Amino acid sequence: MARPSQANMVGRRTLLTAGAAAGLLPFTGPFIIKARGEEPIKIGVDNPLTGIYTALGKNEQAGMELARDQINAKGGILGRPIELVIEDSTSDKTDVAVQKARKLIQADKVNFLVGNVNSSSAIAIAQVAGELKTLHIVPGGHADAVTGANCHWTTFRICDTGAMQGAAMAKPLVEKMGKKFYYIAQDYAFGRALQAGLEKAAAKLGAVNVGTEFFPLGTTDYSAILIKARAANPDVIIDLAAGDDGINSIKQAVQFGLDKQVKIAGMQQELEVVEGLPPEARIGTWLFEWYWNQPNVPHVADFVAAIRKKTNKVPTARTWFGYAAIWTCALVANQEKTLDAIKLARGLEGMKLPPEVALMPGEVFYRKEDHQLVPAVFVGHLQAKGTIDPEDLFVVDQVIKGPEFMPPASETGCKLDYPA
Amino acid sequence: MKKFQDWQGTIIVWALLLTMPFWIGHIGGYTTLGTRVVVLAVAAMSVNFLLGFTGVLSFGHAAYFGLGAYGAGLTIKYLAASSMAGLVAGVLLGTVGAMLIGLMIVRLRGVYFAMVTIAFGQIFYFVSFRWVNLTGGDDGLTGWTRMPLSLGPLSLDILHDETAFYYFVLACFGAAAAGMALLLRSPFGRTLLAIRENERRARFLGIPVDQHIWMSFVISAAFASLAGVVYAYLNNFVDPRAFRWDQSGDFVIMAVLGGMRSFWGPLIGAAIFVVLQDKLSSLTDYWMTPLGLFFVLAVVFFPRGVLGMLKRRRAT
Repeated sequence: MARPSQANMVGRRTLLTAGAAAGLLPFTGPFIIKARGEEPIKIGVDNPLTGIYTALGKNEQAGMELARDQINAKGGILGRPIELVIEDSTSDKTDVAVQKARKLIQADKVNFLVGNVNSSSAIAIAQVAGELKTLHIVPGGHADAVTGANCHWTTFRICDTGAMQGAAMAKPLVEKMGKKFYYIAQDYAFGRALQAGLEKAAAKLGAVNVGTEFFPLGTTDYSAILIKARAANPDVIIDLAAGDDGINSIKQAVQFGLDKQVKIAGMQQELEVVEGLPPEARIGTWLFEWYWNQPNVPHVADFVAAIRKKTNKVPTARTWFGYAAIWTCALVANQEKTLDAIKLARGLEGMKLPPEVALMPGEVFYRKEDHQLVPAVFVGHLQAKGTIDPEDLFVVDQVIKGPEFMPPASETGCKLDYPA
Repeated sequence: MKKFQDWQGTIIVWALLLTMPFWIGHIGGYTTLGTRVVVLAVAAMSVNFLLGFTGVLSFGHAAYFGLGAYGAGLTIKYLAASSMAGLVAGVLLGTVGAMLIGLMIVRLRGVYFAMVTIAFGQIFYFVSFRWVNLTGGDDGLTGWTRMPLSLGPLSLDILHDETAFYYFVLACFGAAAAGMALLLRSPFGRTLLAIRENERRARFLGIPVDQHIWMSFVISAAFASLAGVVYAYLNNFVDPRAFRWDQSGDFVIMAVLGGMRSFWGPLIGAAIFVVLQDKLSSLTDYWMTPLGLFFVLAVVFFPRGVLGMLKRRRAT
């Protein structure tokens, strides 16, 4: 049988050239020569720097960089300086996040892995960290499964879960808003986790779900959803959308005058979103995982000043997540005087964050059973304009400390899989 | 002597691939990166089989890639904890899916064919996204890993040994490449080329064109699902984005970048794509800009891809 036409065949020279070109490609990046004297301890950061979570990822990174500078000024980890090896995981390509996690651990030989904002990516890279026995801190991926059904002995998480936020918010919402809830939420892991968490906790207090609308991520027109919500005649519309979807849904509810007819509230709210809202749409009762204006809590003012100096903005919850994540690595390694992952994980179980890292009232510690941080949460309402500062857009009505609302570890479904 | 020269290209490609774990560390790479190149090369070559050799553009090959990946993952998780069982199940699932979908779309041509393939891919995307109980939804399918291979007394620990896994993937790549090369040299392959060059003339010659396109589509999808299986094994993870249109787009980009219509072009394309993605994203947050620019330049200035350009330069 005849071969394909000559034009389709690849010749020797072509291949040699192409092979050489492909071989040279990895050299395109500039090699940075470092002093070899003090080999730094590497912390791999696998977090979004492009896509819809860019702002959140970059705020987390600013907190991490501040922590790195502070830790290095205080002598680093075990006397060695620390270095952040930062990779863009993208906002929604989980396979890229997985690839980067493997790269960081296998090629860059990092001692710790940190990430990811995206819940799905956080779950996926937790599996890689477990497989490659590397201590992994999740700063801001909220899906319950990270410290629930998909928990690993290597993975610890700083931000809240949907179940935690539901348990914390149910009481203030039922007391202030009424008992008929209508939910609107984004149709993915995070939105569903928040909705399920609140519905379960609120039901215990006698609240009823009069309707739930899940909408696709990136929805821009909320008129039909909001009309449906109004028609169900709830006491309160619970808006669980994050990011741009949060901005658009709240903005449109206010444009339609819905806020005059029915109360609007939600759970997790972020300063990044609130700053994107027009002043008249800064309404409702929400939960902040961390807030910068805590006048009576020691060390918070210093942290705010340091971040302001660095970024010209106040820190958000994301900044604190990143800051606490890097400090966690340093604290536990210096406490245990080792880089052995199993010893570090055991050491972190039950470890309390010192006040200059916790930056919130009450005792903040990693729960032994599921490796979830037990923090306080800030419940309050938004205000159109800051009183003491243009970025002071949230008024904290109540700080609920972790032990007061944490659902028991037995409900998470987490079984830690330590190697024998 | 002429004959030997023709084979030289293939020999060099294989020499580079077979020795990859020994040199990639010295040029700043790592074994898993090489594995990724080879996995995505299988997918890009499968797209090229359809695009470059049959002249039909599928913008939805991620559908079969994803079916292969989920087929393998679900088999290992729920049915049989064996990498080979997962491989067979994944390829079967993808191939059967392509057979059914192929029947519905085989009469369409050009942009309509491309659009409908996207639509079918997106159907699988949303099904896997919403069927949370089975697929894990947006969180992806976790709680399983590829399994060490054992054939009687021989066993190969592809789970923990990255190099062993690379050779496992390379074996799959070799099987796929050999299969495609043999098919292209057969009368069937020549008929596909005839359809690509002039479909109307092929029809007048009495060639059952739709049937050939359907077969080409199914064969191509079978290789795409094989790529999906090894991709799932590579990550020990699958999520609905394996089905999404932008994943299909990546395959087309790799095929076009490296050189559609040339046999090894997609391999070069996959290598450029993966390595650029890996290296640039370590240097800058805006790593997609140079990658996109590179693609635009490639399409404008050397539409036959990198290999096509090199070949043309030699011819003049």
